[in-house]
Amino acid sequence: MTAIAAPTPVNPIALAAARRRRRVPYLLLLPGLLYLFVFYLIPLISLGRMALQSGNLQAGYELTWEWENFLQVFTTYRPQLLRSLGYSIGATLITLALGYPLAYAIAFRGGRWKNLLLVLLLMPFLVPFLLRTLAWRIILADQGLVVETLKTIGFLPDANGRLLATGWAVIAGLVYAFLPFMTLPIYVALEKIDRSLLEASGDLYATPATAFFKVTWPLSLTGVISGTLLTAIPAAGDYINSQLLGSPAQTMMGNVVESKFLSIIDYPSAASISLTLMLAIVVAVVLYVRSVGSEELIA
Amino acid sequence: MRWRRALLPIYLMAALTYMFIPVMVVIAFSFNDNQGRFNVVWQGFTLKHWLDPFADPGIIEALGVSLVIAMLAAAVATVLGTLIALALARYNFKGRSATNVLLFFPMATPEVVMGSSLLGLFVALRVGTGFLTVLLAHVLFIISYAVATVRARIVGFDRHLEEAAMDLYANEWDTFRRVTLPMIMPGVFAAFLLGFALSVDDFIVTNFTSGSIQTFPVYVWGAARRGIPPQVNVVGTALFIITVSAMLFFLRWQRRSALKKA
Amino acid sequence: MRPGPVTTNDGVPAVELDSITKRFVDFTAVEDLNLQIDDGHFFALLGPSGCGKTTTLRMIGGFEEPTSGVIRLHGEDVTGLKPYRRPVNTVFQSYALFPHLTIFENIAFGLRRQGVDDADVTKRVGDVLELVQLTGRDRQRPRQLSGGQQQRVAVARALVNHPRVLLLDEPLGALDLKLRKEMQIELKRIQQEVGVTFIHVTHDQEEAMTMADTIAVMHGGRIERMGRPTEIYEDPKTEFVAGFLGASNLMGGRLEGNRVGLVGGTVVHLTTAAAANQAGAVNIGVRPEKIRLHAPNDETAAPNRLAGKVTDASFIGVSTHYRIMNPDLGELAVVVQNLDDRRFALGEDVVAAWQPEHTFVVSQ
Repeated sequence: MTAIAAPTPVNPIALAAARRRRRVPYLLLLPGLLYLFVFYLIPLISLGRMALQSGNLQAGYELTWEWENFLQVFTTYRPQLLRSLGYSIGATLITLALGYPLAYAIAFRGGRWKNLLLVLLLMPFLVPFLLRTLAWRIILADQGLVVETLKTIGFLPDANGRLLATGWAVIAGLVYAFLPFMTLPIYVALEKIDRSLLEASGDLYATPATAFFKVTWPLSLTGVISGTLLTAIPAAGDYINSQLLGSPAQTMMGNVVESKFLSIIDYPSAASISLTLMLAIVVAVVLYVRSVGSEELIA
Repeated sequence: MRWRRALLPIYLMAALTYMFIPVMVVIAFSFNDNQGRFNVVWQGFTLKHWLDPFADPGIIEALGVSLVIAMLAAAVATVLGTLIALALARYNFKGRSATNVLLFFPMATPEVVMGSSLLGLFVALRVGTGFLTVLLAHVLFIISYAVATVRARIVGFDRHLEEAAMDLYANEWDTFRRVTLPMIMPGVFAAFLLGFALSVDDFIVTNFTSGSIQTFPVYVWGAARRGIPPQVNVVGTALFIITVSAMLFFLRWQRRSALKKA
Repeated sequence: MRPGPVTTNDGVPAVELDSITKRFVDFTAVEDLNLQIDDGHFFALLGPSGCGKTTTLRMIGGFEEPTSGVIRLHGEDVTGLKPYRRPVNTVFQSYALFPHLTIFENIAFGLRRQGVDDADVTKRVGDVLELVQLTGRDRQRPRQLSGGQQQRVAVARALVNHPRVLLLDEPLGALDLKLRKEMQIELKRIQQEVGVTFIHVTHDQEEAMTMADTIAVMHGGRIERMGRPTEIYEDPKTEFVAGFLGASNLMGGRLEGNRVGLVGGTVVHLTTAAAANQAGAVNIGVRPEKIRLHAPNDETAAPNRLAGKVTDASFIGVSTHYRIMNPDLGELAVVVQNLDDRRFALGEDVVAAWQPEHTFVVSQ
């Protein structure tokens, strides 16, 4: 067993093979990313372009760099903008308050029924969302059981009190719609927590409440953040709940966009409102994620 | 002190019941003997809607459209998503984090914006809205979820399995076909199911891009104003029962096949 | 299985690595490695984590490509070839058994890819299952087997293809001590029965010495010492190898002829062979088990003597491990077989003595 000492040049076959191997991931990505590029990025850019146009359906549109289109969001539609943000935040907070204990219950008390409970949580989604929201309209109807009961208890102010066509109905609808979206990520995060950490904290004289605030809550934070993002963002753009459960006094940005696009057909205006909504959300998300320090969630 | 422990389970039950209340209302009102066009006040029990579910042809057509689109969209999105997931999970390449960010955005975009931007694109290209546009839109928003689902499955995969296959004389394609694919299949299947469910249920994006054709949710929305025929509830309930049963069968079959091979 | 070894016996080495270098983005794993492994040998690549041994193995298997250099298997240049084109098989550290296939199909995998017909497949799988003593488990799944059983399936899966070289990447790492020792003997037996060249990567020096015909100790991407287990143990030649293969008791001094004047004045002797071609400042060493302890002034002690005090004595059962403190040279590790009841107590003055032929020189 001896060692040879002759030097040899770099093997050309090996080089070629290495070069081939490096291309593989790009080939795999190509179809999917191309699709996203064409149908996601380009439309957004196109939307931007449209927002700067003026004209109407009959005469056609031209790019006149109408920056005023964006201004109108803050003037004419300020109530809707504020309402979208307000309802969204309100619904998110309520959903968090309801969803966290739910996730906790399944993760820590679910035992061998964990999967079954998750399935049950998601099962209502097998009935189309619109039907379920309409069902809420029936349940919260003016002469319905719920409203009557609340009047008797005294929760509702007077004989004319109603739940439908109020902001509360819209928020209730949003909460219902997004509860699973909030619960699931929190559940996943709680599930991963090593139970021995809690035992260790008990061993170190922590009461159950302390253990929760010092151990469980911080470790579940990534789930909370995912959940709030998955709830707040779609909620801000929703218009179904406000249309079905609210009245024209509860319109949100989504309603405006929808009507401008599909009924009034005022594309530039609609586009600018839509984009503004998107930008507002992106800014809010970035600020939120930065402040909590969770960039890894996204990338 | 002991009753405190019962609080959480009670809450759990209450919350789950809350989730099902609208479902039960939908099911209940499929049996409602409604007078007139509206089906919002309980007026008596009847089976007549169940006996005549096809009274309104619009419903069946819309349902058919929904199912076809869901199948196609879920299939396409799952394939594209699987490819992306494979690339992301297996290879460390330049632009990896950029891709991750790009994939996150569709999930974070409100449907209103997505729908309106797509509509904008189609208008600008003078493409008529209809079946194809809806299909394209659905594939779009399903892809990100498909990637996330398949990826979770790939991550738990022993990297050496593929090397072992190649060590045992399987070339790249053989390795993929006989080792990689069977291993990620549960994830791929889950992604398909998720995509299917998202597609059938979707309304907002569909509303923007459907033009004159109707999917089931679009039909319901349109009917909401003039009165939703109870047959809609019938169809909704039937869908629910069928999918639940399918799931139960699937779970039972899975458990049995796992036992068989022991 | 074939009886006896399959040496081609035409002098062509089974594996030849020619100036192999492997550079990654931020570090170099293997630096200008030259190696020849003879046919039918049980060869071990030994070294600490990060020394490049696994990278070297993976390059032989085709899972990594060398940045430069040539790899030859039985004379044939395979450097650019994919794993499925090389006549080698690998046993992975995590076993890498296909969870969705039965044991039978796992083992048959390679055979099927090569187009072997069903009757042959069944026979060969049966034979190899017998070799690893797992007959009857062919219909089970990997998850139903214990770690040791899975490991044997991994070996079977590789061997059934009659590779010319078998690569083993720390295959015994996940097993508990008793099982590991059993498997070491098993693998050695299998290798001798089948006669295939085994290349075994490990960080466990005891394992390497138990199983291998030849060991190459790797350090920092290079082979520092290669030879038979006894050779490299008794004559490590470098400080690293001396320390890696057990305790070494290194001492500094000046070499003149056959004698070394140690720091502090004591003179010890070497054999002529050990001292050959060297002079001046050296480090010498002696293995702990070669040292005997005596009471001071005991004239029966061997020629090389160091005085010291006992600072530690641990009774292990088979032996007693002592630490002897010498004021000039520091602590010596001494291992004494418990042949009699003579024990040295803490604080006792002793003389540590050994024979000249057990002194080795390590390069600085």
